[in-house]
Amino acid sequence: MNYLASLSPIYAEMFLLVMVCAILIVDLFIVNYTKTVTYLLTQTSLFCTVLILLFTHQPGAAHLFNDMFVHDVMSYVLKVFICLAVMAMLLYSRSYLLVRGLFTGEFLALVMFATLGMMVMTSASNFLTLYLGLELLALSLYAMVALQRDSAIATESAMKYFILGAMASGFLLYGMSMLYGATGSLDINRIADVIQHGTPNKSLLVFGLVFIVAGLAFKLGAVPFHMWVPDVYHGAPTAVTMFIGTAPKLAAFAFVMRILVEALQPLMIHWSGMLMILAVLSMAVGNITAIAQTNLKRMFAYSTIAHMGFLLLGVLSGTIEGYGSAMFYAMVYVLMSLGGFGMIMLLSREGFEADTLNDFKGLNQRSPWLAFMMLLLMFSMAGVPPTVGFYAKFSVLNAALDAGHLTLVVMAVLFSLIGAFYYLRIVKLMYFDAPESHEKIYIQPDSSLLVSLNGMAILLLGIFPNTLMSVCFVSVQQSLLQ
Amino acid sequence: MNFETVLFYLFAAVTVFAALRVITARNPLHAVLFLVLAFVSSAGIWMLLEAEFLAIALVLVYVGAVMVLFLFVVMMLDINIEQLRKGFWQWLPLGGLLAALIGVQMVWVLGADEISAGTTAVKHAADYSNTKELGRLIYTDYVYPFEIAAVLLLVAMVAAIALTLRKRRDTKRQDVNKQVKVRREDRVRIVSVPSARQVESVQEAAASNHGHTAD
Amino acid sequence: MLENYFPVLLFIGIALVMGVVPLVLGMLVGPHRPDEKKLSPYECGFEAFEDARMKFDVRFYLVAILFILFDLEIAFLFPWAIVLKEIGTFGFVSMMIFLAILVVGFVYEWMKGALEWE
Repeated sequence: MNYLASLSPIYAEMFLLVMVCAILIVDLFIVNYTKTVTYLLTQTSLFCTVLILLFTHQPGAAHLFNDMFVHDVMSYVLKVFICLAVMAMLLYSRSYLLVRGLFTGEFLALVMFATLGMMVMTSASNFLTLYLGLELLALSLYAMVALQRDSAIATESAMKYFILGAMASGFLLYGMSMLYGATGSLDINRIADVIQHGTPNKSLLVFGLVFIVAGLAFKLGAVPFHMWVPDVYHGAPTAVTMFIGTAPKLAAFAFVMRILVEALQPLMIHWSGMLMILAVLSMAVGNITAIAQTNLKRMFAYSTIAHMGFLLLGVLSGTIEGYGSAMFYAMVYVLMSLGGFGMIMLLSREGFEADTLNDFKGLNQRSPWLAFMMLLLMFSMAGVPPTVGFYAKFSVLNAALDAGHLTLVVMAVLFSLIGAFYYLRIVKLMYFDAPESHEKIYIQPDSSLLVSLNGMAILLLGIFPNTLMSVCFVSVQQSLLQ
Repeated sequence: MNFETVLFYLFAAVTVFAALRVITARNPLHAVLFLVLAFVSSAGIWMLLEAEFLAIALVLVYVGAVMVLFLFVVMMLDINIEQLRKGFWQWLPLGGLLAALIGVQMVWVLGADEISAGTTAVKHAADYSNTKELGRLIYTDYVYPFEIAAVLLLVAMVAAIALTLRKRRDTKRQDVNKQVKVRREDRVRIVSVPSARQVESVQEAAASNHGHTAD
Repeated sequence: MLENYFPVLLFIGIALVMGVVPLVLGMLVGPHRPDEKKLSPYECGFEAFEDARMKFDVRFYLVAILFILFDLEIAFLFPWAIVLKEIGTFGFVSMMIFLAILVVGFVYEWMKGALEWE
């Protein structure tokens, strides 16, 4: 009993695991294709996971299982946001998936497994658990992309995702093995300790670091390791694209923080140089290629690449401000991405995907409120004040400037100006072009409430960014200082 | 150079050769068999490191199960490997250059004296059991990753079923539950058929027949 | 420890020799007079009708994958079984949780009908 009580920091994960197993079994007895019971059970479990996280949280960091699991402020905040993002994603995508026959118990179970994987990643403090969490997430995602079995494009993108993802995992593992060889440990704190105070072989460390950064870049989708992103975003069912584009980015941020900052902080001069190349290339290729896209999902994919460049910009600054603003950027990105893909799904109907630019023509005449929400989202993605996207970009640039990367900041501003073009083009299409169809837009009350909340959050957080910003700073600071 | 080093280079050479043949073999079946060879020789290398359990697990799981599955699929599947490998020779120079670059780097970094010097594996006595050592660690110190591994296997199961299981409607299948549950009332209906009927007069019968056809 | 495996190595060596030598001998000593007819594929005296490969039912694959997963599970049982006395209740419970998670999977696939061959 005493041992069980000492496990309280991991109760949330344990609860989630028990609930996935329960949902898998319960779903077998539900013949109704709308799967209402399974759906409600999933949402309730995620909500309860958030509650458990809130109630079991204690200040300071808790280490469990021989330091393989760490629960600190950063992982706590990220886990809460991950669960909330997954809940929002399920709310948005329910009717979209229902009409396509994809809303199955397996889908919900895979979503929960992926959430569990993300939670494992955010609070991993050992390369082993870091890697296992990543694979748990990735394996669920591969299956979810391929879930639409009759669609050739979905199957193809799942194939590409799987093969490139496996290769990235190989890179990561190889890099980790090199670090293990150099330091003799897989434990993140121990590795940092050995690098700082011991005498590990420098060239071996850097050699391993190169592979790790390459693997991370693959997973983040940073240029030149971005080839899978557009195809997967385009080919997967929009609900799955939304899932890939939201919560996993938070987990990926935690992953980068744990490996590069917590374990390999002493090697910062090496990795910040590599991240610079990745960041500049991502912002350039992402923003410029996105202009040429006519498919909205593909455009969002390139925009993701550009946003990941920005996120890396925050990380490579190497200061608490930089990490905090990168975390803020990741959260804001998730919020915008939820809204963007949510909008595509709201406008889609049975047998029709509203994923081209033309489908947004004259949206203002068809539904002024939705058009306004989309306007907010696009402004935020482009970084127009007073939306929250502006503050996210601003704080990252500020941190990079403080760290002395003036050239990088100038380039980032330049590329986001180029990027503003394709976001604002959508605004122009919505407000100044004639609609191509006058069909009535019918949306579920829950999704319309959610999209309104989402848009308002973007506006309100833009006006009052301080609370979220300080949450990010505090969590990064406290996690790194212990 | 002692006997073990000779064995190591032997196994390593076989592994590299087999891996090369996997991607250059014309016949997919040969490629799979070379992959088996690569696994077996890597198991040999692991054995030299005294990781006996892992070596045997590699042979059991990969060679015994995974590769047989591969072989099975490759034998039956109608893939045209020549078509798949169309770009192979075209891209070989670039890929080869990159591979050579990485190879040179690896030799340069890993071949450095201070790394290759201090890395002879610890030798154990004849009664040392690597399996026991693993067992002592996996289920106690490494219990957290161990349980995550179970969840990974579960995900693999769910994913495999979600992606491949399809209920067919055109097959006639036997439902054992239904067969066992069946009761007399479901199958047998007793109809009382009068065994003898009074013969009506021939004209009447003909008339009623006629009436029916007129309807 | 490795000396325990010397017989195995010896066995592999002898097996290799036994397998390779006859083949090589046959190749070197036997006559080689190939012609077009000898080298063409043989199918009961006809020209070959079609390729031997064909579309493959994915159900075979499903059964095989499910088998492999449980094969892996069994692999974890071996080290556990030989140190069960040393790792005590903790080790026992951790394996029970592991098995419970996989039993959920087993129940799931059974009820789903993935183990049935229609």
